[in-house]
Amino acid sequence: MSSSAGSGHQPSQSRAIPTRTVAISDATQLPHDYCTTPGGTLFSTTPGGTRIIYDRKFLLDRRNSPMAQTPPCHLPNIPGVTSPGTLIEDSKVEVNNLNNLNNHDRKHAVGDDAQFEMDI
Amino acid sequence: MLAVEVSEAEGGIREWEEEEEEEAAERTPTGEKSPNSPRTLLSPRGKARTGGPMEVKLELHPLQNRWALWFFKNDRSRAWQDNLHLVTKVDTVEDFWALYSHIQLASKLSSGCDYALFKDGIEPMWEDSRNKRGGRWLVSLAKQQRHTELDRLWLETLLCLIGESFEEHSREVCGAVVNIRTKGDKIAVWTREAENQMGVLHIGHVYKERLGLSPKTIIGYQAHADTATKSNSLAKNKFVV
Repeated sequence: MSSSAGSGHQPSQSRAIPTRTVAISDATQLPHDYCTTPGGTLFSTTPGGTRIIYDRKFLLDRRNSPMAQTPPCHLPNIPGVTSPGTLIEDSKVEVNNLNNLNNHDRKHAVGDDAQFEMDI
Repeated sequence: MLAVEVSEAEGGIREWEEEEEEEAAERTPTGEKSPNSPRTLLSPRGKARTGGPMEVKLELHPLQNRWALWFFKNDRSRAWQDNLHLVTKVDTVEDFWALYSHIQLASKLSSGCDYALFKDGIEPMWEDSRNKRGGRWLVSLAKQQRHTELDRLWLETLLCLIGESFEEHSREVCGAVVNIRTKGDKIAVWTREAENQMGVLHIGHVYKERLGLSPKTIIGYQAHADTATKSNSLAKNKFVV
């Protein structure tokens, strides 16, 4: 009883899945199949499978894609974030209409943001 | 970097009908079978094929990971977690840009707000099981840099994440956070294991270079466990680059 739970198991030896990098510099080098990666393997199931890496130039080039011009569907209305016309002015504006998340009263947390103070 | 020849690279995009016959004989130099016959990726938004010509079969480029964008608004009357809102998730390059182009720039958010981009399934808080043993590479900006540097640095950070710029160490990455603060904004890349020195340092070196920081600029890596107990920014740097 003094040892930790699961002590009956030998700790398994885990090893990182080996990966192989395929540099992509142009859209034409990509497979058209959604589930394959350059090099032709399914990363999620294939040891040695490829990781999909895009360099910054490729990513920046795709910014002008027609597919990138329309807003994502189901984008929630967050004043000052997804509707830039109504920029929030500091803390004056309530955010009570965010995402329908506050239809019920919340208890105020003790110490507010004491859970994780990473911003001071 | 090893560049494996990919069969589609030659001659641009071919019709898949033409390719099927060749496929059996076509192999990459590593001896692996070439990718399956290409199929047009249909847009989840139903845009493909709507415009007529072939090129309107619009391509989406899948990301290695699905990423969730979070927005945090500092409302002190509410619990920290109640101020955290999932904006949306993206898993293609194009959807990333669609999102980025339709949300406010970080520099235009009000003080006390954050954006966070994390891998799907990881919440942007150190309590998450995939964060709690980890830490962050922290870039602290001077006040005046909000208007000159912040948006560029944050976008570069996002591109590092979705493009998997840290190669095999990208699996160590959990996400990134930008804090908009009156005293000075901050950008951080979060990784999952502070003790993984090799991974953390690789990520730090690549990240610093991608941000274009001068060699004189030092950025530090802090374990979340140290940050959480300090309650201020005096947490010691575990690593620096």
